[in-house]
Amino acid sequence: MSLLDEIEPMKAEALAELFAATDQSTLDRAKGAWVGPKGKFTGLMKQLGSLSREDRPLAGKAINQAKGELEQALAKARERIESSAAAPTVATDFTVPGRPRRLGRLHPLTQVTEDIVKSFRKLGFAVADGPEVEDEYHCFDALNTPADHPARDAQDTFYLDTPERPLLRTHTSSVQIRVMKEQSPPVRIIVPGRVYRRDTADATHNPTFQQVEGLYVDKEVSVADLKGTVEFVFRELMGPKTQIRFRPHYFSYTEPSFEIDFANSLTRKMGKDWLEIAGCGMVHPAVFEEVGYDPEQWSGWAFGFGIERIAMLRYGINDIRLFYENDVRFLEQF
Amino acid sequence: MKTTYNWLREYVDFDWLPEELSERLTMLGVEVEGIEQVGGAFEGIVVGQVITRDQHPNADRLTLCKVNDGNNERQIVCGATNFKAGDKVALALPGTSMPVPEGEKPFVLKAGKIRGEKSAGMMCSGKELQLSEDHEGILILPEEAIVGQSFAEHRGMAGGDVVYDLEVTPNRPDLNGVIGLAREIAVLAGNSLKKPEVNLFESETLAEDLVTVRIEDTDLCPRYNARVICGVKVGPSPEWLRNRLELVGMRSINNVVDVTNFVLMETGQPLHAFDLHLLAKSEGKPTVVVRRAKAGEKFTTLDEQEHELSTENLLIADEEKGIALAGVMGGLNTEINESTQDVLLESAYFNPVNIRATSKATRLHTDASYRFERGADIGATDWVSQRAAQLIVEVAEGELATGAVDAFPGAVKQTEITLRHHKVNELLGISLRAEENLGYLKGLELEEIDTSDNDATFRVPTWRVDLKRETDLIEEVCRLHGLDKIPAAPPRGVLGENSFDSVHDELAEARSILTGLGLDEAQGQTLINGEAARLVADNAIVLEHPLSSEMDVLRPSLLPGLLDSACNNLTRRNEDLGLFEIGRTFAAGEPETRRLAMLLSGAQQPMYWGDTNDAQSCLADLKGLLEGFLERFGVFGVDYERRAESTALYLESAELKLGKQVIGKIGQLLPLLGREYECRDAVFLAELNMDVLLQRRTRAKSFKALPQFPAIVRDVAMIVEDSVTHACVLGVVKKAKPANLVATRLFDVFRGKNVPEGQKSMAYTFVYRNVDRTLTDDEVNNEHGKLVAALSESLAAVIRDT
Repeated sequence: MSLLDEIEPMKAEALAELFAATDQSTLDRAKGAWVGPKGKFTGLMKQLGSLSREDRPLAGKAINQAKGELEQALAKARERIESSAAAPTVATDFTVPGRPRRLGRLHPLTQVTEDIVKSFRKLGFAVADGPEVEDEYHCFDALNTPADHPARDAQDTFYLDTPERPLLRTHTSSVQIRVMKEQSPPVRIIVPGRVYRRDTADATHNPTFQQVEGLYVDKEVSVADLKGTVEFVFRELMGPKTQIRFRPHYFSYTEPSFEIDFANSLTRKMGKDWLEIAGCGMVHPAVFEEVGYDPEQWSGWAFGFGIERIAMLRYGINDIRLFYENDVRFLEQF
Repeated sequence: MKTTYNWLREYVDFDWLPEELSERLTMLGVEVEGIEQVGGAFEGIVVGQVITRDQHPNADRLTLCKVNDGNNERQIVCGATNFKAGDKVALALPGTSMPVPEGEKPFVLKAGKIRGEKSAGMMCSGKELQLSEDHEGILILPEEAIVGQSFAEHRGMAGGDVVYDLEVTPNRPDLNGVIGLAREIAVLAGNSLKKPEVNLFESETLAEDLVTVRIEDTDLCPRYNARVICGVKVGPSPEWLRNRLELVGMRSINNVVDVTNFVLMETGQPLHAFDLHLLAKSEGKPTVVVRRAKAGEKFTTLDEQEHELSTENLLIADEEKGIALAGVMGGLNTEINESTQDVLLESAYFNPVNIRATSKATRLHTDASYRFERGADIGATDWVSQRAAQLIVEVAEGELATGAVDAFPGAVKQTEITLRHHKVNELLGISLRAEENLGYLKGLELEEIDTSDNDATFRVPTWRVDLKRETDLIEEVCRLHGLDKIPAAPPRGVLGENSFDSVHDELAEARSILTGLGLDEAQGQTLINGEAARLVADNAIVLEHPLSSEMDVLRPSLLPGLLDSACNNLTRRNEDLGLFEIGRTFAAGEPETRRLAMLLSGAQQPMYWGDTNDAQSCLADLKGLLEGFLERFGVFGVDYERRAESTALYLESAELKLGKQVIGKIGQLLPLLGREYECRDAVFLAELNMDVLLQRRTRAKSFKALPQFPAIVRDVAMIVEDSVTHACVLGVVKKAKPANLVATRLFDVFRGKNVPEGQKSMAYTFVYRNVDRTLTDDEVNNEHGKLVAALSESLAAVIRDT
């Protein structure tokens, strides 16, 4: 049997062995036996010298071709063995909980405030701020609510026990005065913030609560503008199908003044046609005069509403005190 | 303020049902807070007329009738036989609650079938109506009975009514009376207001012969009107008067007092009736003196409370004693009683500010003070007195003395306001014609005194104390025209500007980083307990009249609030907490300051079934959060300086410093204090001055090329004294300035085996790298050798072989 005739059967035997190998060490042995330095194919190469001049190149080529095939088969066998070694021994239960990561949440009042701020900013409002410890001037007098005014009754005020007897602002409207005294018109701001009233805490009252105030002063601002903006903002906040109704009301610092009611699937679920949501009105000329704006030249509107109330309506929360207890089981629901 | 549907209908015609009226009032600005249907006698029973009467096909003793109820024809099965077609009967409709003797359960009539025939109602017998014992046959009504009329009306009785509970805004005292409300409805309905007619029958005696009035302080009482009714019979009020008062929530007292209350509800003007003979006489007749009380003067009001008055309180008096606390409540000494014969009727105007002060000081909030402090109608004082006098004579007999003693030293000055028609349209954003404006305002009885194409001037009636300037008139037009007719204009306008705008976003950014770090945001109370505040500051601001000692100061720090929140959680077994708050704090002599506070307690990691890592949070966890936050927020170079002693709050703590400025603190809560907040596990707290962080943060970011060449790393372990801190090591490294050193990382601190007592082993990795080339071992060894020598020398460190 010539050397040339030995190549094919040897290759077949080698391939069969590589195919049969199921682990790395068997494969390594097979590799050594056939293509390693002491392997049988290496041996064949050494025998080339014994061949005739004509046969030598032919046999060399055939051996190299076979070796190439074996190398390929070896690589395949190695991949096969590696991937079968990586296969899970037990099927993973994909239904068990994964390792939890701690992810904090924003307080629901922060989330609602941010939503409100977002809707106003779409319209070009800037966020403004002012002190919570106020004086009577900014909280009442400048807002056309003098000391003997019955409107002050509705807002029982906390005074501080210091000589100047400052107070905790009862509404964010005090910031209107501060901003208008500082900036010349036009003005377009919203003011989210904490306010304080001397109410004993119960399901619907907390001595601390939060409001958003909106103020727009420009030339030729009208009730129609007020309605347009209020409708936009409340549809953003309470859903596109929300209906808005304005009712005449009274606030000392706006004239005319209105209360705003809304109606949507939420109110219907509560069995109400309308629910009160905000107060608003055209800035009273006396307020403009107080801050040095000419009411003949400028007009404007303001409105305000409670953030807790929006959050309570939106999420169906039934007790305002929950917002300030910070029970994590509550916080983690939003 | 309560009123009723039927009462309003007496003063103005309108054809709205009670629900519609409620809607109209609400849209006028008088919010209806409650609406209550009050059943009258014979509710649901109407006058019907029998059209046909036939035999019931399935029952010998029953008849089958067609009956007209005024609107429809209905089939009714009846057991009686005493009637014929054409007879008028009392017809109870399905749903009617049949009259029953007191104490029995009401029986509600239903439509149904009787022996196979439909029956939609019942023709009633006298007994079924509780009118007689006759149940032999049904009640046949006289021929003149009007078909469809309610049976109650047919019998001349009060029917049902609807009571409205209204929220009248403080600027509209005129709406605190039925007439004022009717005036508004009249404009809407386009009908005229029907004020009650006053026709007085006066006796020959003159009022001025029976009483004198002397006003000593015309600022506090610009008008005082007195009438006298002699020979009244004090007793119970007639039914109509009692019913009316009870419907609007007032208790009936006696006929004279009830009239004053009725007229108060009708007109909004408070009245008071005195027993004339209980006033002291001088020169044969009593004198009413309107004066300020003397300092310390004692006075007992009708409710038998004694008040000590001041000169700020206005008193109605005779020459000897006080007889009423003006505008607030009458005196016990002169009240109408069973033996009263002659009545002195007061109708006055008092200064609103003064009445409000007196009412507040004496804590007497009455129907009278409520109205006076909002402003009574100074023009109506005498008319209201006449109206009441007439009713007193009607219900309590007696004779009215002629005229009144009407002390009215100054004339009324009526406000005049000019309305520019274009202003209405500018402010409301609509186009109304001048005639429309005039129509609305004149409907409210504003008197047009001057007019041109562009404007009109009005004289404001005395009851409209709220109308002071043009914009007030525009509001009236707006209300009456209807807000629903003003279109909503699409939002427009300038871009708003405010310096706070960006701060709002920076605070939001901080919150977002903190939640990303796994902390839940809390919002604590601003008002906290003073003792808790003292744990962190001794300059908390105290409230003048706190609601309770739990909420008596403004928070000087967010930490007491976070501890309260922790306590709320721990008592409810939520034991693993990571909370933060960004909020405002207050302290005497300091500006309001925003702070950031954090609290950590309980398990370090959320529970996971796959392993048993139940490690508890430690100070390093909180410091890691803090460092992570500061880095992300752009605050660099913070030093932590340990405080040598415990504080009232902290077991162990450090100050955070940026240069010399203290920006916050971090530490572990005193365990004993923790126990007061229900904390069993260690609690870690930190608080930073957010305003300073906002000022000192760096927001600039710039790109540094990624390293191109490999780093060479050298580790050093050394034994040092316990007092050598990480900061000390960094200090030495900084001073030594080894070339190409790019990072210094602590990777181990160890005490114990092979480390002498009072010392510790610290191990560091030093990373060397050059941006332009690969470093050689030699040049690194050279630099590193100098660094190790510096450490060894400066820190007296013993370098361990590694």
